[in-house]
Amino acid sequence: MPKKVMVIDDEPFILMMIEDKFKRAGLDVVTLRESKGAMEVIKREKPDLIILDWMMPEVSGIDLCKQIKTDPEVSSIPIFMLTAKGQEDDEKLGLSCGADRYITKPFSPRTLLEVVLERIGS
Amino acid sequence: MRESEVERLREDLLATVRELSSTYEELSLLYKLSEEFTGLGVEEICDVMLSEITSLIDVETAAVLFWDEDTESFFLIKYAGQACDFSPSSYKEILCESMHRQRPTVVCKVHENPVLKEMPFRSVLLIPFKGKKKRLGVLLIANKRGSDEFFSGEIKLLQSIASLAGVFIENALLSEQMHEFLLGAIKAFVKALESTSAWTAGHTERVTEYCIGIGKMMGLSSEEIEKLRVCALLHDIGKIATPNEILNKPGKLEENEWAEIRRHPLVGSDILSEMTHYQDVIQCIRYHHEHYDGSGIVGLKGEEIPLFARILAVADAFDAMTSDRPYRSRLPLDSAVKEIVANSGSQFDPQVVRAFLRWVRLTYRIELPESELYSQL
Repeated sequence: MPKKVMVIDDEPFILMMIEDKFKRAGLDVVTLRESKGAMEVIKREKPDLIILDWMMPEVSGIDLCKQIKTDPEVSSIPIFMLTAKGQEDDEKLGLSCGADRYITKPFSPRTLLEVVLERIGS
Repeated sequence: MRESEVERLREDLLATVRELSSTYEELSLLYKLSEEFTGLGVEEICDVMLSEITSLIDVETAAVLFWDEDTESFFLIKYAGQACDFSPSSYKEILCESMHRQRPTVVCKVHENPVLKEMPFRSVLLIPFKGKKKRLGVLLIANKRGSDEFFSGEIKLLQSIASLAGVFIENALLSEQMHEFLLGAIKAFVKALESTSAWTAGHTERVTEYCIGIGKMMGLSSEEIEKLRVCALLHDIGKIATPNEILNKPGKLEENEWAEIRRHPLVGSDILSEMTHYQDVIQCIRYHHEHYDGSGIVGLKGEEIPLFARILAVADAFDAMTSDRPYRSRLPLDSAVKEIVANSGSQFDPQVVRAFLRWVRLTYRIELPESELYSQL
């Protein structure tokens, strides 16, 4: 069974780019364009890792991250935060809400794949 | 829409995503590099650039060649990978051509090329780079592993890296020139100051050397060392206001004359107050005669005294003791060292004195009665 990565971002290009790159590396990829209702999909899909954008309309990545990390059913899933924010304080906030890693945009798709594989194994 | 059309659009979209993805990869690399280049010196920028290039492309050698306008020649400034034992001057023509056309040059089979066949490489890629104003040099990439071909994507990426590095290198060169100019101007001041008194000639230069020696022993960064150098060069600038008959007086000074001399840190920092970007230098000069225990001129104590001022205090005292004065002859080296140690904790910062002792031992290759000295620290 291939490992499953879920990507939640409101930018279609980011979703398509990660999906293509990760699928070619043999991963199973589920993409979501909005954070609203994401909890249900996460519980249904049970991904091995979630890549989550910070700035999204309605439910922000930070809030969704907190929800995931406080729900025992899914709290063990590692979360990589993807965001254009680059300040150190933002990074602390991101990590304090339970994110396992913080990656700033523009990111290197190659490096993103490497760190994901490092975390979940291929 | 017919199914075949949908399929074709899907393929187009995927191709576009892949192309954009590689542009995005490049964008993120340039973004990362411009953050890393910020604040670095010329050689450090070259190191970062070369290590990035060798991690991106599997090549045996990558080197940065600078163009020197004065001598009209190329010289090797940095390389990564296998040793780069070739002489750029032998290939000046092709390097110049690449630089003047500002276009990359690819030679896949060096041994078949009449101009380059003596070059100790199989394949070579030359990428010229420039700053905003000047052509700076050529990036040389040699012996790609696995294939002698360089792909257009790789060349484009290397061009982007080199042109970004070019701007940062030009800025770093300018800032190094400015620093040299500043040091030159300061040294001219100091020369003017010291020319009025035979007794102080060379004092500033020696104190600067001692400060840098101690600073290095304390593990200061190269940026901090440069700041310390400026402090040391300017530390006695306030003596410009001290009457020469006091500075040159043979024999002991009267109390009122000492009072005049003790004003020089304050006068010096006032003179320099226009150097608004050098507040730390000014503070250092103002407090370089403070004592660690608070018994100095102003009464600052311990770490209230800036670190550079604490270093300067030791270096200044050491030179004063080991130089002849109008009213006394110099002390022997070991007596001067003992005197510094004896005043550690009262006049001097013990941490600085420890670094000073390490520096003395290394520089003068003398055996210090270590246990005796350290027991007092």
